[in-house]
Amino acid sequence: MDLTRREFLGVTAGAVGMMTLPQQPGAAAEPRSEGFQRWWTFYSDPNTYDCESMRGYWSALSPQPSWSSAGDPDRFARLSLLIVPYVVSLLPGFLECVTYALQRGTTVVIESGAGFADHRTFRRHRCWLRENLGVRVVSPRDPWAKQSPAGARYIEFTWPRRVKIRDFSRVVPPADGAGDDVIAWAGDLAVATRRRVGKGTLIYLGSPVGPSLWAGDVEARRWLHAVAHAA
Amino acid sequence: MKKSIGDNMIPKDWGFDRGLELVKRAGFDGIELWLGDVPWFQMTTTDAQVRELRRKVESAGLVVSNVSTGLHWATPLSARDPTVRAQAARIVERQIETAGLLGTDAILVVAGLVTEEVPYNEVYQRCVDALKPLGDKAARAGVKIGCENCNSEQRFLLSPREFTQFLNDINSPAVGLHLDVGNIHDTGFAEQWIEIHGPRITRIHLKDVLKHRGRSGDQSVYTNLFLGDNNWPAIRAAMTKVGYDGWLIAEMEARYRYAPDQQFFDTSQAMDRLISGRL
Repeated sequence: MDLTRREFLGVTAGAVGMMTLPQQPGAAAEPRSEGFQRWWTFYSDPNTYDCESMRGYWSALSPQPSWSSAGDPDRFARLSLLIVPYVVSLLPGFLECVTYALQRGTTVVIESGAGFADHRTFRRHRCWLRENLGVRVVSPRDPWAKQSPAGARYIEFTWPRRVKIRDFSRVVPPADGAGDDVIAWAGDLAVATRRRVGKGTLIYLGSPVGPSLWAGDVEARRWLHAVAHAA
Repeated sequence: MKKSIGDNMIPKDWGFDRGLELVKRAGFDGIELWLGDVPWFQMTTTDAQVRELRRKVESAGLVVSNVSTGLHWATPLSARDPTVRAQAARIVERQIETAGLLGTDAILVVAGLVTEEVPYNEVYQRCVDALKPLGDKAARAGVKIGCENCNSEQRFLLSPREFTQFLNDINSPAVGLHLDVGNIHDTGFAEQWIEIHGPRITRIHLKDVLKHRGRSGDQSVYTNLFLGDNNWPAIRAAMTKVGYDGWLIAEMEARYRYAPDQQFFDTSQAMDRLISGRL
């Protein structure tokens, strides 16, 4: 049987997802705005506060969330879902909260904000992800650069539900062979992964979802709500 | 109404001083200065040099009608890269600053660019977000930002009602419409844009458009006044209806193969006919 890497990993990621993440009541339901508060908050470095990605998550998870730039590990460890939008790196105190929350069972979404970064900033981002979260990534790229004429520029998510979300021009792909479950693709390029860390789940997004949420993309909202339900 | 023409129309080898003489001789009242599009007015041009430009304009018996720029085509406010967006905002800020130095109260901004890559909804949101604080800055400086309707080129804000919604969402009295009557092509009628936007029109660009011939390769659809498909009597009547009495600014492409200065004289005379309603 001929299977591309994408097909193989896509199937196995889905299977693992079903085994390891208990189905939440209403997980397949349409997005709803009430009841999310215990599941999420925002936590980012001051540079990304009020960025469009952050506002995208805010708009999708109404009522307006609390956000934080200060560290109280116990506070974050009680959450089901913690989103770090469009991040390059976090200060050590904040990072501690993220890793503590992961160990205690929180689902943490790390959204790369280095797609447009210069080389030096990207190197800092790559180093930070690898050393602190064990996420290995490669240089930003336009996944469609070799595609002529350019077709539809969608990121195809396979977990926790299948959706297509507009790409964001540049992706910071996870490195080949990192061993994580691939949950999203740009063509044949893996762009998002999921992995168990402690009792929690670490989701790495190499292509930001926040800007699509901010622009009102319904599929992006469905994906986020499915993540919130699964968390 | 007063007549103006862009300094980017000045023949390349003429220079600013000789260009000003031509503009004055052709019968214009003012000149539109294009930031970044001409060698004498760049982002690096200092305040002192901008003041010198104003002195030259006034010495030639003209005034500056407004400050425009084509820089936002390459550096749009709607870019996904935040660094590019910051540059784009800085261009608008410099336009506002130089408008003050040049003694005019209006600038032209190409607000956003919808592309295959950057979709409409993102462009809309980013432009609204960018123009709110820029509108505040413009208001403090006593300047109005005119967002140009570049319908076909921008693929953005294609109808006059959509443009109304856009301006409503920005919700700043300092942000309005810089109407280009040639840019509407087959997506509508310039006279209806004038009727709908009336007092929100900051300036009007004039050129004619070959609506029914379309674009072929790199050929332009734009042409000189009265040679295209615009309904000029209707446009003139709409200006009267809404009480537009501001600047009319010629913005056609330099199409004259020989005697390029002749285009200035012909355009000025055509504008006189339009203003007087002898159509």
